[in-house]
Amino acid sequence: MKNNHYIGEGWKHAVLIIGALVVLLPFYMVVSISLKSQQEIQSISGGLIGAQEVQTFPVCTKMGMSEETCTMKPYVYNYWFAFKKAPIARYLLNGLFVTVSIFLIQVLIALPCAYALSKLRFYGREFIFSMVLFCLLIPVHAIALPLYVMLAKIGLVDTYAALIIPWTISVFGIFLMRQFFMTVPDELIDAARMDGMGEYSIVWKVMLPTAIPALLAFAIFSVVAHWNDYFWPRIVITGNRDLFTPPLGIREFRGGVDSDEFGPMMASIVTITVPLVVAFIIAQKRFIEGITMTGMK
Amino acid sequence: MGTIKLQNINKSFGKTEVLNDLNLEIKDGEFLTLVGPSGCGKSTLLRIIAGLEQQTSGDVFIDNKNVNKTRASERDLAMVFQSYALYPHLTVRRNLETPLRLRDYSGLERIPLLGNLFPNKKNKTKKIQDLVHKTSETLKITELLDRKPGQLSGGQRQRAALGRAMVREPVAFLMDEPLSNLDAALRVHMRSELSELHANLKTTFIYVTHDQAEALTMSTRMAVMIDGKLLQLDTPQQVYDNPSSLSVAQFVGSPKINTIKGSINSDGTVKFLNLELHRTSSIKNTNVIIGIRPEHLEISKDHADNSIEGVVSYRENLGSDMFFHIEISGDNEKLIARGTPQLTSSISIGSKVFVKRLKGEALLFDQSGSRIKFTSDN
Amino acid sequence: MHYSRAHIWFVGPAVLLMFVILIFPILLAGGISFTNYNLGNPSFDWIGLENYDKMFSRKTYIKMIWATATYVLIVVPFSVVIGLCAAMLLNSLRFGADIYKTIFFLPVMATLLAMAIAWEFTLHPTMGLVNSFLANGCGGMREFVLGFHWLPWVNSNASWYHIACENNNDFPFWLKDRGYAIWTVCFIGVWQAFGFNMVLYLAGLTSIPRELYHAAEMDGAKSTWEQFKLVTWPMLGPTTLFVITITTIRSFQVFDTIEVLTKGGPSKSTYVMMYAIFEKAIQQNLTSIGAAITVVFIAFVILLTFFQRYVIEKRVHY
Repeated sequence: MKNNHYIGEGWKHAVLIIGALVVLLPFYMVVSISLKSQQEIQSISGGLIGAQEVQTFPVCTKMGMSEETCTMKPYVYNYWFAFKKAPIARYLLNGLFVTVSIFLIQVLIALPCAYALSKLRFYGREFIFSMVLFCLLIPVHAIALPLYVMLAKIGLVDTYAALIIPWTISVFGIFLMRQFFMTVPDELIDAARMDGMGEYSIVWKVMLPTAIPALLAFAIFSVVAHWNDYFWPRIVITGNRDLFTPPLGIREFRGGVDSDEFGPMMASIVTITVPLVVAFIIAQKRFIEGITMTGMK
Repeated sequence: MGTIKLQNINKSFGKTEVLNDLNLEIKDGEFLTLVGPSGCGKSTLLRIIAGLEQQTSGDVFIDNKNVNKTRASERDLAMVFQSYALYPHLTVRRNLETPLRLRDYSGLERIPLLGNLFPNKKNKTKKIQDLVHKTSETLKITELLDRKPGQLSGGQRQRAALGRAMVREPVAFLMDEPLSNLDAALRVHMRSELSELHANLKTTFIYVTHDQAEALTMSTRMAVMIDGKLLQLDTPQQVYDNPSSLSVAQFVGSPKINTIKGSINSDGTVKFLNLELHRTSSIKNTNVIIGIRPEHLEISKDHADNSIEGVVSYRENLGSDMFFHIEISGDNEKLIARGTPQLTSSISIGSKVFVKRLKGEALLFDQSGSRIKFTSDN
Repeated sequence: MHYSRAHIWFVGPAVLLMFVILIFPILLAGGISFTNYNLGNPSFDWIGLENYDKMFSRKTYIKMIWATATYVLIVVPFSVVIGLCAAMLLNSLRFGADIYKTIFFLPVMATLLAMAIAWEFTLHPTMGLVNSFLANGCGGMREFVLGFHWLPWVNSNASWYHIACENNNDFPFWLKDRGYAIWTVCFIGVWQAFGFNMVLYLAGLTSIPRELYHAAEMDGAKSTWEQFKLVTWPMLGPTTLFVITITTIRSFQVFDTIEVLTKGGPSKSTYVMMYAIFEKAIQQNLTSIGAAITVVFIAFVILLTFFQRYVIEKRVHY
């Protein structure tokens, strides 16, 4: 019986490895192309990292820089050129700013609401909760158009506000935190009230600390979703490059690129995608736990 | 036939040895209990018999056939789990039908709609339904057949789990602490029901529990296991009256047996506290531990010869019996003696009492816990 | 429970935002859809159901519904089934499960836009690995694949692979060919989604009590398939419902891949609803028809979710 077991394991791994190869294929392509020279890219040669021969890059000289500056190894060139052509650092900062702002405001709005829905009694509580449940059915991307029209009418298109405002209300967050808060014992809150705490303090000083795991899960969910969001920024940022979020940055690079600048384009993709991927690999357990927890609730 | 034999069973999980050279023969039709404290390996042993766990070494025989290489589903044993393990998404009826459907229908017949085209299926279905009906009547769960496990009480679920085991008419029933999730009153009631069931079915029952009272009341024979070893295999009365070791004596019987240090001199006279036993020991010149059960001690306020003096520190009133906890004067040891509740009025906490022992009921154990016989015993 | 006035301040902002950002826009979209309003125009007329009429009669919009339906009906089943299989495989591994889990979850985390471009390159007719791999394989691998000629669809002379090799390595333009584009886009969708489903299924699997499997074994369920039918699949009911609901909603909202790779083409074979809204309302500034598509889209999604959540939910719980 033991022998069968090992053979069975072997087959499983074989299947899984083939799957892993398919899954990793595009990642491999992106990294590989970002390191190679143009000729190697077009002729698919050079293996993973390419021969890395020092060469002079014509596009660079076309832009007016000296031959000397434009002579280097392909991988250096790709990344250097990518950063030169587009303000990638700016894009990353935008991404950080937007996702953090969104998350903080979401918490600011959702937490008290979840607390009230779970622990306070007031007229209309059931109605409001039904409203929350109904709104859960509405995918926000679906109402992008009317939101855009509304924002255009008040002149907020092409601003950070436009990027952030529609996401400030996270019904999912309200729902998740409410479910979590309902498991917090009432006595804890009563004790705080006896100690003289006002309701507002209770939310931030009592409920928040107990909800850290759920909040963390929600944070991961929110940050990832909004960092990667392409649709909404694409609609709402119409001209101001300075406001580009990371996905928009990638897009711009691809759109405006000369047909033979694949290397730098992939370099930009790598740079922009790396933060999340690295964060994920370091904290994967947390990520996956978080996603699972939000799912189960 | 439902004989089961275990030979030289060893089981280790990594470095931890759970079962140590266990040998056990279970006779056809008997109710054998594997009893012992938590962690002694009895559940593991049951699962090895069932085939859900593989032993590290040793052999399992069912009806004299070596079943080491046979999988659990083919050993023709039925098991009732501690958590009942009923399929939550199926009605009780379907739960009971499942083992029969798996066994009797062929693979093709089981296909939901097309399977009905097979000619034999109707007959088989009828047989299965009859069997399920009969079993549910025996267990008095017929009204519950169309409910799902989530809608049943603990006792009802237990009977459904029993039903699922019974429909297969297996060679032996394996039960893993089936009563431990029930409340006390129900537990006592189910004990008698299980015993009745056993008498009616006449099939071998192998029953695991940590409750020595269950073992004493239900078994034909009980196997006392402590720390992965089988210490004694005997009828309940024998285990109670004639324990093979101190551990067994202390495990069986509630309240726990009294143990007092004593010694044996050169001519075999046993001395402890200020008393001497009438019977002489077969072994001489050694220190011993004497065990006396609480019901073999008489308590009284009046002075008596050959009695132990002490002060009552606590009383346990169980309604039908009263157990007095006594601190022996001039000694660190404590005794528990059984008395009648009528003595309450005269003996209270702090009272000075005299404890006599009934003759011929003391048990002798050497320092390592093994039983020492008296010369008058055979 | 505590009676207090604080609730007004606590739920107030949330309620206000819910109304302004979520509920009102639906009404607005509904309103606009009955007009011919375009953003920037000072005035508009009411045209009733004209927009909707266009939607259900013009060929473009029929293709839109077709493309969206195809995408959802391919991506949901495949990503759910593959996610489930992956979860079951990982659950039964002795070691290495964590590594695979991380790898399979990567596509979910990575920016879809970036990955779409990555796939564009991988599937590029001349520069991509896939076609070059197929071309290289024209030698040995072709023999291997054609060795399966007893399978009905691999007929040695008519097989696609054989023909392509013969015609000077003329492999499909995965994203540019009308016949292939939608399937390629679906493939990318499944690639991106299955990891998420896998993780949810893994959680579901670990919550199944092990004793149920023991009981199944004792009852005679010998093969993995039988145990799956008796224990695994029924116990995963709630998880499956959730997975299908989430994946369906996300599939309906596909946009990134289409916008960057195919722009709805070739010949509208990948013209999904979200992209249609974008093209019509934002790029072409035909706000009213965009609003009509939005209304239909929301109706689909709400109905579907409602159906899945409240109708099927009862049956799936125990």
